[in-house]
Amino acid sequence: MSTTVLDRPAPAPRLIDHFESGLNSPICLTWELTYACNLSCIHCLSASGRRDPRELSTDECKAVIDELQRMQVFYVNIGGGEPTVRSDFWEIVDYATSHDIGVKFSTNGVRITSELAEKLAANDYVDIQISMDGATAEVNDAIRGPGSFDLAIRALERLSAAGMTRLKLSVVCTRTNIGQLDQFKEIADLYGAQLRLTRLRPAGRGADSWHDLKPTQEQQRELYQWLLAHGEEVLTGDSFFHLSALGGSLPGLNLCGAGRVVCLIDPVGDVYACPFAIHEEFLAGNIRGEGGFGEVWRESELFTRLRAPQTGGACKSCAFFDTCRGGCMAAKFFTGLPLDGPDPECVRGFGEDALADSTAERPKPSGDHSHLTSPPRPRAVRLTLEMQRPTGPPVAACDASPLAGMQMN
Amino acid sequence: MTDITPESVLRLHDRVSVRPEPFGALLYHFGTRRLSFLKSPSLLAVVDALGEDRTVADALSIADVPDAQRPAMIRAITTLRDSEMLVEVAA
Amino acid sequence: MDSMTTPAPADVDATLVEANELVEDVSIDGMCGVY
Repeated sequence: MSTTVLDRPAPAPRLIDHFESGLNSPICLTWELTYACNLSCIHCLSASGRRDPRELSTDECKAVIDELQRMQVFYVNIGGGEPTVRSDFWEIVDYATSHDIGVKFSTNGVRITSELAEKLAANDYVDIQISMDGATAEVNDAIRGPGSFDLAIRALERLSAAGMTRLKLSVVCTRTNIGQLDQFKEIADLYGAQLRLTRLRPAGRGADSWHDLKPTQEQQRELYQWLLAHGEEVLTGDSFFHLSALGGSLPGLNLCGAGRVVCLIDPVGDVYACPFAIHEEFLAGNIRGEGGFGEVWRESELFTRLRAPQTGGACKSCAFFDTCRGGCMAAKFFTGLPLDGPDPECVRGFGEDALADSTAERPKPSGDHSHLTSPPRPRAVRLTLEMQRPTGPPVAACDASPLAGMQMN
Repeated sequence: MTDITPESVLRLHDRVSVRPEPFGALLYHFGTRRLSFLKSPSLLAVVDALGEDRTVADALSIADVPDAQRPAMIRAITTLRDSEMLVEVAA
Repeated sequence: MDSMTTPAPADVDATLVEANELVEDVSIDGMCGVY
């Protein structure tokens, strides 16, 4: 008779097992207040720029907050676009924090006056995050636009001077800034901010720039080692669990929480499974429906489906599946890969293989609120046969302006 | 810090929000911004039963915790005290 | 007990007692999101 296996207790359900089947309310809820933005970052995940006329009104925003309070949502992550360009921004933040909901908001710094910095520092329910994608103006502004680096530094200076401690510096890792990780840390330390490094996803305008901006495989290894060395000191928003096959998991949940732990409320009230997946495929409903946000969170068909046990598909047999979990759903979707297969940046190369074999058409992001500039803002050329959007700068000068090249004498 | 015993009296920190979940509960501390996961409905019942005038022993009884589980519960309460989710009340 | 099916709640609690993991801290910054 073999020794009974019942000598040892069965393994307890892990935390992430519980999370995978959904929660009563989201934990990491992202709420984009507006598609309006003063900048036009080339990788913007929400393709923001112009305000959408169907934007939620102040009263509608307050109704959402009331509901979140009833659902006992602990905090909201507010962003956009640039949330501070809404004239009711502070009214909304005040309403949230006086209704038991913490606010963490992200900004490019444009409206952070010294006065607002003082106000923010004084409200213990508010945390703030400044976006920056280069440790120098040269690298940063190439992505975020002229003057954006200075805007961010000025905001950091004012917040630091006001004694703001709940401050983060948030960076999207790209091919052009991986060499600046130490410098980012120095900037964060200088202003008493916590550094946050996150992953570039092929979402929104990021779909155009992804192939040129995403870190190389070599850079990913460099980034991974750097993150390991800095441990819990540097935050990642669980961005890099797809790198765990390089040598073990980084701090964090190591889990795609879409529709289970996280979701997005967009400026017109649409609820998506994830802020990186603004596409009809991941649209669960709208808060303007009869049952509000709560009904969408609890009962939408999409979220119910996401909360069912996932098979893991092709990745299940990989030794690293346990920590990698097949990577990022949004990254797979927007590169045209199947959701039950490898991440496009799979460190074992399975994603690259899948992309090379793939004949699937790449989905285009649902909305484009980008500024309509004249001449058209240059966009990265997509090397595919799809012709869904303008794919490059004007071929001839007169494509941009009928008067181009004319000598007026 | 002192050891937590059955005679200890603790209450929930007033900046902590407790949200029941199917598997137990989530606790969020608005000051520390920490999130704790209670993986047992029994533990949630114990936390709910704690208060100004109740000892740990009282709370364990109210929550019907079997004797065999009491040591683990006390360890859990200690963890929650250490992360400031629970606060000791002076005798 | 020799059941190989999902343990009943009482069994799960007993298991958790053994594992001494009734409380787990979760980093809110370790969850996927933009902010």
